[in-house]
Amino acid sequence: MSDPRDSTDPTDAGDTETEPPRDPTLRRPDGGAVLEDDRDAELDRGPFQQWVADSISNPERVYRAMFYVAAVFFLFTTLFPFYWLLMVALTPEGQLQDIVFTPNGFNPGAFVEVFQVIPFHVYMFNSFVIALASTVVVLVVASLAGYAFGRLDFPGRTPLMLLVLVISFFPPAAFFIPLNDLFNTSFFFLEPITGDGTLYNTPFALVTPLSAIFMPLAIFILTTFYSQIPDGLEDAARVEGTTRLGALFRVIIPLSAPGVATAGVLTFIAVYNEFFFSFLMTDGQPENWAPILDGILAYQGQYQVMYHLMAAASILGVIPVAILVVIAQEKIVSGLTAGALKE
Amino acid sequence: MARVRLENVTKRYGEETAVDDISLEVEDGEFVTLVGPSGCGKSTTMETVAGLTRPTEGRIYIGDDDVTTLAPKDRGVAMVFQNIALFPHMDVYENISFGLRLRKYDDEEVRRRVEQAADIVQLEGMLDRMPAEMSGGQQQRVGIARAIVRNPDVFLMDEPLANLDAKLRVHMRTELQRLHRELDATVIYVTHDQAEAMTMSNRIAVLNDGRLQQIAAPLTCYNEPTNLFVAGFIGSPSMNFAEGQLVENGLETNNFTVNFDPTQVPGVTVGDDVTLGIRPEDVHLTRFAETVGSPTDPIGARTDVLEPMGDEVFVYVLLSEAATGSMEQDPATSPNQLLMSVTPDTDIEANQEINVVLDRSKIHLFDTATGDALVHGITDLSDRESGTTPTEADS
Repeated sequence: MSDPRDSTDPTDAGDTETEPPRDPTLRRPDGGAVLEDDRDAELDRGPFQQWVADSISNPERVYRAMFYVAAVFFLFTTLFPFYWLLMVALTPEGQLQDIVFTPNGFNPGAFVEVFQVIPFHVYMFNSFVIALASTVVVLVVASLAGYAFGRLDFPGRTPLMLLVLVISFFPPAAFFIPLNDLFNTSFFFLEPITGDGTLYNTPFALVTPLSAIFMPLAIFILTTFYSQIPDGLEDAARVEGTTRLGALFRVIIPLSAPGVATAGVLTFIAVYNEFFFSFLMTDGQPENWAPILDGILAYQGQYQVMYHLMAAASILGVIPVAILVVIAQEKIVSGLTAGALKE
Repeated sequence: MARVRLENVTKRYGEETAVDDISLEVEDGEFVTLVGPSGCGKSTTMETVAGLTRPTEGRIYIGDDDVTTLAPKDRGVAMVFQNIALFPHMDVYENISFGLRLRKYDDEEVRRRVEQAADIVQLEGMLDRMPAEMSGGQQQRVGIARAIVRNPDVFLMDEPLANLDAKLRVHMRTELQRLHRELDATVIYVTHDQAEAMTMSNRIAVLNDGRLQQIAAPLTCYNEPTNLFVAGFIGSPSMNFAEGQLVENGLETNNFTVNFDPTQVPGVTVGDDVTLGIRPEDVHLTRFAETVGSPTDPIGARTDVLEPMGDEVFVYVLLSEAATGSMEQDPATSPNQLLMSVTPDTDIEANQEINVVLDRSKIHLFDTATGDALVHGITDLSDRESGTTPTEADS
């Protein structure tokens, strides 16, 4: 330890190590000059060459640049149609030709007119009820299924789970004809509920098939989350006085809040945005539980298409989902950070 | 408070038998520890009492009620878990009051009992904390408070101290004993740590391979183990074993002979294989032989490694020159080694020729074939008439 360069004092070590000999007249054996650092290269390079040289020595800059390019491209392709929709909505009727980047005129009244021409709010309400009911059905049933698949050991568990997933890959159209036929069949025991005994033109005609179609994804998400809750917590809840079901609702589900929120939001959005069944399972009349989709298409008359109202209605239809996503995102993030378990 | 009775409880998972025909009875207010190596079925046994697992066969009684098929919540039991298992989304108050709130006690009563329970486990002023903000010891105290607040008939504790650090473990051990005395509760305690079992329990139930080996008071298990497994498992460091053969005038092993009258050993005859067991503290240097009641003939040996523990020194003794003191073998099972404990002021060093004697009254004999204990303590041939009568092993 007598050698001063062996000293553990950081300042000493810094002095001896970070001072390489810097001699501008240094020559390689072949006669070329040794470039000591970037400052030498700067002299004989243009800005682009300089940028390339910097990128090679510092690749993070390129990755960051690529990220911004990709993000801007993605945002543009996603948001520009909305901008365009807004332009169309704000342009007064009859002046829809030649819209480039600004509306021809300014007519915010379209957002009010939407509700005057047809009862668009009823369509929105219908969509909301259908999406909400489907989400509730999916979350309750998928929670029970997720508990069974994630926390119980029973013969045939894996094949059953695979079957559920396989069914989710079927095209929904494959179910349409039998379901439509079924929903148009009159059942006497449904008469007190639907009047004529059929499910067509009722919310059940949408909630039933849509919950079934989006159920496998929710089951899959919830199975993963529920299986990660330590057995000890469930045991503790059961000894403390809950049933298995009670433990599911009081302990497992609250601790899986991020998973439940994810499954719920995905289901809500999927049902709200669904086209195929929404279009075909009602006759398109607002009093018959037709969803937003039918509302937007209702501005299309036999002789006239009110594009500005369709655009305004589309924007109004998107807003609830946008709000939901923003709120849910916060919930999901807070759920994730609060879910610290001791195992 | 209540008695707990297990009648021929068996639990099978497919082909595997986790618990094999266990019957035991825990008296009202008793502290019984189930102890055994990992995988011996002690936790499964406790789960059957808690109701978390239904036994394949057998019946379980708490008090006078057959609870075999009852749900855990209807059994009047409370449980403390190894992984503590506090509900992470509830604060301490909500955790402790969970069971009371489920049973719809009124708020006033809940608050009173939670505060009382928190008082007992010394958690005053922490009721609004979240479990994640507490240390391991505090968390386990919340777990205990959650168990005592409902005033259950039976406490089940599944290795509650296993996840705590060594110092805290010893501290919590005394706290649990104090708690048991204060609450006068029936406690079934599961642990793999024989020291915990020895210090805390009224009785120990030693389990191995899903079978009950012995249930007795800690010192009985220590002094009169019923078989080789209990003898080796209880006590740390464990008992020395030497396999040998019963001969006309005693027992002959590869390295030494112990003289006694073989007819005093019930159940075996001359020529049978017998295993001798002797605890480290009952092996003495020959020069201290006078202090031993009934010493055997001196056995020539050589010291190998010394382990000073402070209050005593463990000496690994090689019995034959052939023995290399190999590291692979546990001294307890190695035929050529003995572990001896001496007082720290003893003048002894490594690699020294010594003579040792065994205390005859502390020698245990086991049937090598079945592992069952034959006799605890033997008498010399010469003082057969006057000597102490050996304790016969219960079969």
